[in-house]
Amino acid sequence: MKILFFLDKRDNAGSIQAVANYVSAGEEMGITVAVYGGPDENFPRIRFSTDVDAFDYVVFILESRLEWLSGLRLPRVLSSVPRGRRAVLDADGTYNRRVSIEGYDRNHASENDRARWLAYFHELAGKIMQPTFMPIERNVLPVPFYGYDPNARIAPEASPPKRFDIAHVGHNWWRGREVSQNLLPAFEQIRSSVGSIAFVGLWWDSMPPWAAQLGLEAAFCLDHERFRRLKIQVEPPVAFTQVISTMSQARVNIMTQRPVLRHFKLLTSKYFEIFCADTIPLVVLDPDEAEQVYGRAGRELTLNGTMAEKLLDALDRPGTYRDLVAEVRHHLTEHHSYRKRLCHLVEALES
Amino acid sequence: MKLLFATELTRYARSTYTLTKYVEVGRALGHEVAIFGEQSAEMPSLPCSLDVDKFDFVIFVIHVPSDFPDLPYLARLLDQMPKDRRVIIDCLGRYNETIRVEHDFNHLEKLDGHQGWEWVEGFQAVAGRILQPTLKPLRNDVESFLFHGFDPAAIARPYATATEAAHAWAGNGTSKPYAMAYVGNNWQRWTQVRKLLEEIEPLNGSLGRIALVGWDWARRPEWAAQLGLEAVNVDPVLFGRLGVETREAIPFDKVNKFVGQARFSPVFHRPLFQKLGLVTNRTFETFCADTVPILMLPGDTVREIYGESALPLAPGEQLCDRLGDMMRHPEVYWEAVLKTRVHLAEHHSYERRFEELVKILNA
Repeated sequence: MKILFFLDKRDNAGSIQAVANYVSAGEEMGITVAVYGGPDENFPRIRFSTDVDAFDYVVFILESRLEWLSGLRLPRVLSSVPRGRRAVLDADGTYNRRVSIEGYDRNHASENDRARWLAYFHELAGKIMQPTFMPIERNVLPVPFYGYDPNARIAPEASPPKRFDIAHVGHNWWRGREVSQNLLPAFEQIRSSVGSIAFVGLWWDSMPPWAAQLGLEAAFCLDHERFRRLKIQVEPPVAFTQVISTMSQARVNIMTQRPVLRHFKLLTSKYFEIFCADTIPLVVLDPDEAEQVYGRAGRELTLNGTMAEKLLDALDRPGTYRDLVAEVRHHLTEHHSYRKRLCHLVEALES
Repeated sequence: MKLLFATELTRYARSTYTLTKYVEVGRALGHEVAIFGEQSAEMPSLPCSLDVDKFDFVIFVIHVPSDFPDLPYLARLLDQMPKDRRVIIDCLGRYNETIRVEHDFNHLEKLDGHQGWEWVEGFQAVAGRILQPTLKPLRNDVESFLFHGFDPAAIARPYATATEAAHAWAGNGTSKPYAMAYVGNNWQRWTQVRKLLEEIEPLNGSLGRIALVGWDWARRPEWAAQLGLEAVNVDPVLFGRLGVETREAIPFDKVNKFVGQARFSPVFHRPLFQKLGLVTNRTFETFCADTVPILMLPGDTVREIYGESALPLAPGEQLCDRLGDMMRHPEVYWEAVLKTRVHLAEHHSYERRFEELVKILNA
């Protein structure tokens, strides 16, 4: 079996971490997994190939942009690989009907926007998959896709020194409201009791210059003055190979998800890589959803309603939380390894 | 023959002017020509169509990746037109190994996200035949087809004699607001523009107003700095010294008229084009304007494209002296312009181009 991924190559965002893990899991299982493209030293651990004809299946990973699927790039695969052997992983729920979350985040800005995406889905593939256990649209295959790699875990003795008490690693892309409404008030309550807090990623310090031109100001909206007042450090994004070690530099890591992904219950790499880091992960998820992914111990690691208390508690009683994290890791290894994910993907492709 | 051209139409760049001529000339010669896509409200004179199966050939006119249509339109072209009836006109020499000349290049991943091999493999997947607007393609699987041409009917002021032309051109000293105007976007032309300006600096004061018209002449754009690209440089200090006016881009159908407001208009080919021998619509169009074209091109290119009569218009390294001589003896140079127009009409008319294209397609 040979699987070729097409994706928007970004070394600090998207699904590249997962794809690197599929390459490794494939090597263990005798399945060839590669990414379409020429060799690229910026993407270690990724096998690249341009030999489209040599693969059994092509999987397009669609995230928030379509521009990279240029008319120059597509004809080769469209003419070489039959539609029945092409699938799309819809990472951001753009195949779903248009949804707006409290007038803020949305999967499409307009019906025209959705129509444009649907045209791509239709032409690209015969199968649509989403990284969820429960797709909303009837003809979407549930393929959790993102998984846990126990080999990527950083043990305490190998962990870098702790620079932060609390860190959040991820870009400010539709996360500003969650952070402003829930996290910052919690930080205000406990700020005097906590050491350094860091947000690592793009757009926590300012809005990109093109945001207004694209009508995307809301996606980056944030009270920067409040960030400064709370003495929150903002650090630049890190490459996918550095995410876990960066998370390991904090005693506690917080995971937030953009609202539309939470609404569609779509998984991301972050769900799992945060548990590879030498840290105490606290996730902004509903307890039931957390339990579905992480097992029973996952409920105790949610930041839901009592953020300030939970953050202080995790910093004050790390041993208790480490036990919970160990339990979650055990669950993830058993149920969400990339070996299992790859089997699931193969099953979906062959269904 | 029914030809469907596929490209991204823009009023300010690339080959839109050329395509308007193919529509006109095709119609006059009894062919049908349309542009693939929904009818453009901006360019109602260009007929558009999505009925791929009503055409004999699809001809992709490619400069940048976005010249290929998006899905689902791309799939319609690939599904409804057999590959041996799909042709690419490769206007920028993309279908070559990666080539760099000075700061110029035919592939640059950091600019458009595509590596060199993608251009080659992409072209091979799309089309059965690839044409380049050069007399000497580098690859043996590329056919030469100059694509762009000369329209004698577009000559702004057709003169019977050089004396008449020189008289009208000299006027009473106030007939043309500019001494020199260059219309073209600031992309890979800076090295040559700077050289030209530096060479004519000694004439400052006696020459007159100079205008650079197009994108990004006023300042180097932020994105170029971020990407470390030298292709869009400018020198505001030099502009200030020479009183160079920079103006925003003008649409393709206004170029001829604007260029005619200057006594001289330089013709440049960017470094990559010089190496590959690629021509553009401006190679020919400048001879339609009421101006004296200054051919800032290698002598071989001038001979091959414009003919021997055009050589006086190519100053080589003697630009300053040649401009002075042109102002003193305009008849001599207008004689060259008029003879070159005849040469272009004979060898590079759009009628001739269209017939060449039909012959290539039928071969």
